[in-house]
Amino acid sequence: MTPEEVLARLDAPLSLRRRVGYLAVGFTGLTGSGLIGLLWATEPELPTRTSVAFAALVAIGLCWAAFGGWAVTRRTPLFARDRVVAGWLGVGAWLAFSVGALVISVVRHEFDPVLLGMVLVLGVLAGAHLRAARRARAALLRRRTALAAPGEGG
Amino acid sequence: MSDELLVVRCQLGEREAFAQLVQGWHPAVERYVGRMLGGSDDDVVQEIWLAVLRGLPRLRQPDRFTPWLFTIARRAVMNRLRDAYARPEPEPIDDLPGDDEAEGVVNRETLAGALAELPAREREVLLLFYLEDLPLDACAQICAVPVGTVKSRLNRARTLLRRELVRKGYEA
Repeated sequence: MTPEEVLARLDAPLSLRRRVGYLAVGFTGLTGSGLIGLLWATEPELPTRTSVAFAALVAIGLCWAAFGGWAVTRRTPLFARDRVVAGWLGVGAWLAFSVGALVISVVRHEFDPVLLGMVLVLGVLAGAHLRAARRARAALLRRRTALAAPGEGG
Repeated sequence: MSDELLVVRCQLGEREAFAQLVQGWHPAVERYVGRMLGGSDDDVVQEIWLAVLRGLPRLRQPDRFTPWLFTIARRAVMNRLRDAYARPEPEPIDDLPGDDEAEGVVNRETLAGALAELPAREREVLLLFYLEDLPLDACAQICAVPVGTVKSRLNRARTLLRRELVRKGYEA
C-alpha cells in the first residue's frame, strides 16, 4: 500500500466539510429540540396528540444532536481549527435559542426567571468553549511559528 | 521539516501536513507491521493510520511523536498477535560471552531474515532498537515496560537470534 492509498482511504475523516457538517447537524438538532421543548413547556393545556407530536419532534432533534456528538467524538477527529468552528457554531446555536426564547416570552407576555437563568448559563458555556478553543489554537500557532523559525528546527 | 512541526500543523488542522507525515512515516510503519506479522497487512496499516489521525489532536507532546506512533502500531499488531503476547515471558538468559561478535553479526540483512523465528516480544525490541534505531527509553515507552526489561529482552533476543543464525548456517 502506498502513502497515497492510505490517504485516499482516510479521505472521510480528513474532510473538513464533513466535520463541520457533523457539528452543524448536532447543533441544529440541539437548538431545534431546545426551542420545541420550550414551546411545549410554555403552551398551556395541550391535547395529548399535540404533546406526542412535540415529544416526537424533540426526540428527533436530540437524535440528530446525539449523532453529531458521536460523529465528532468517535468517527472523526476535531483539530484546533475545527474546535474554533465548533465554538462559533455553539455561540450561534445559543443566539438562536436566546432569540427564540425572547420571542416566546414577548408573545406570551410573561417573564420566566428560570428561562433567563438557563439562557445565561448556556451563553456562559458557549462563550467559555469558544474562548478555550481560540486559546488552544493560538498556542499551537505560536508553537508552529517558533518551530518554523530559522534555527529552531524544520 | 521536523516531525514536531508537522504534528503541530496537523493539530491545527492542516491536511497537507498530515499527508507529509504519512509520506514520511508510512515506510517505517509498513516495515514494522510486515516484520512483526511475518508479511504485509494493509488492514493493520490502515488501522494504525486511522488511530494516528484520531489521536493526533490529543497528543500532548508533539516532540514524542515517534514513540507514540510505534505505541499505536504495537497495539494494532498486538491485537493480531494476541496469543503470542499472552504467553508468559520466559526466564532471562544469561549474557553469554561473545555478545560483541553477535552484535557485529546483527546487521539489517541477516536480522530481517531470522526475525520471523523469534517470539513476539523479542522480535519487537530488536525491530525497534536495531531496525528503527530508537533509543532504549523510547523502546521502553512503546512496549510499556521499564528500560531494564527492554535491556533483558534485547539480551535474550540477541542470544536467541545468535542460535537462530547458527542454526541457519551463519557463523556468529
